[in-house]
Amino acid sequence: MNSPADTAPAAARFPYDGPEHLRAPLAAALSRVVDPEISMNIVDVGLVYGVMVDAAMAHVRITMTSAACPVIELIMDEAEAELDKVVPPELQIRVELVWEPPWSPERMSPGAKRFMGW
Amino acid sequence: MGRPTKTSPARRWIPARALFGALAGVSLVAGMAGGLWRLGVAVPDPHSFTWTGQVLLVHAALMVCGFLGTVIGIERAVAVKHRWAFVAPLASGAGALCLAFGPQAAGAWLCVAAAVFFLAVNALVVWRQRAAHTLLLAVGAAAWVVGNLLFAAGRDGSAVFPWWFAFLVMTIAAERLEMTRLMRRRPAASVTLHAVLALLLAGAACSGAAPRAGGLVYGAALALLAAWLAVFDVARRTVFTRGISRYMAVCLLGGYAWLGIAGVAWAATALGWPARDAALHALGLGFVISMVMGHAPVVLPAIARIKLRFGAFFYLPLAALHLSLVVRLALGSFSDPLRAAGASLNAAAIVFFAVTVAGAAVAWRIQHGAEGARKAR
Repeated sequence: MNSPADTAPAAARFPYDGPEHLRAPLAAALSRVVDPEISMNIVDVGLVYGVMVDAAMAHVRITMTSAACPVIELIMDEAEAELDKVVPPELQIRVELVWEPPWSPERMSPGAKRFMGW
Repeated sequence: MGRPTKTSPARRWIPARALFGALAGVSLVAGMAGGLWRLGVAVPDPHSFTWTGQVLLVHAALMVCGFLGTVIGIERAVAVKHRWAFVAPLASGAGALCLAFGPQAAGAWLCVAAAVFFLAVNALVVWRQRAAHTLLLAVGAAAWVVGNLLFAAGRDGSAVFPWWFAFLVMTIAAERLEMTRLMRRRPAASVTLHAVLALLLAGAACSGAAPRAGGLVYGAALALLAAWLAVFDVARRTVFTRGISRYMAVCLLGGYAWLGIAGVAWAATALGWPARDAALHALGLGFVISMVMGHAPVVLPAIARIKLRFGAFFYLPLAALHLSLVVRLALGSFSDPLRAAGASLNAAAIVFFAVTVAGAAVAWRIQHGAEGARKAR
């Protein structure tokens, strides 16, 4: 498949604040959430705005490219399901949808841009 | 001990989902039956229904307002996550029932109410995200209001259809414009699309008073839009992926070809050529239903909470739709029985697609088991 392979590790594509040992698994989990129409995961598209993990909760902020998109909730559910596989069971999971700052194509990974003909 | 399980609020909505599914489904079936009866196809038997004459008259309203309007209304209501937003698809579905089986005037005005609510929902989307594509969605909704008002006022298809199709075409174009943001920004893309859609609205506005000029402008705008989509759409890239992304791209690109044909046929009809069936159905079936087939595997799981197992078998009803349109519009231009046969095959392709979707839902359940299906809700 011509899926856009990124040059930078997924974890480097969004701000992360939390225990170091969870950084890579969380990034890998979010990279498994794919927008079906474009065959790209939400990390590569630049939809993940940040992940914060403290003693009680893993908090992920994500955005979408369109407020009119009916698939929003599905993608959020899928993100939650993937996070559920890697987040320690004593932590709550919160996936928050944010619209600020608005998504822009500059947020896409170099691999995603290449795939889209940039 | 695991973290507390989140109870999905979606589970409480099962009866509501069944109701909306039934409204869209009844509209689609009645709309298709009306379309077939118009062409003299007696399947289902027109004598077995009390409302045959009534259904026959409102074929277009059932397809555009009852089926597509309801489905798009549900889609948008799910996106904005407000309970009141579902009033729009509820009104369009109820309106379609009245159009087919009840007082038609009430049905037409319910459709007006649906479009007005839908416009309000789109205004909320613009308020949340002020962007070119959300504004276009709102303009598309406004076109639906105009079309429904003309329909309720008793105007004929030549005045109403351009507005109804402007609603559908602008809704699709807006979503495609949003996707082009993923590709390298070409300043010409947004400007040219807006110019083409302005032309489309101008054509729609003129069609009532000056059908010839209006039809020419409208047809030109449709053809130009097809060219725009062929040049700028992301489907040109995603067709080289695989699986569902490639399938969606194939649906889109096939639809764009029919959009171009519809534009030419629309203009030809305005000039007096016998191309009305091609204009309306290359657009309504070739373009719009192809989009529906492309998006259904992604959108249905989101709005109906039904998971589907995607497979290459989805290409079969798609191929059936496109081939049946060739029979209807190319071969059918030489003989009415061939046109009627093509229309029957169009309807069969849509039923085939519905069966495919149902099969894909069963396949997913078999693959993931009942437990997975319960979780997915």
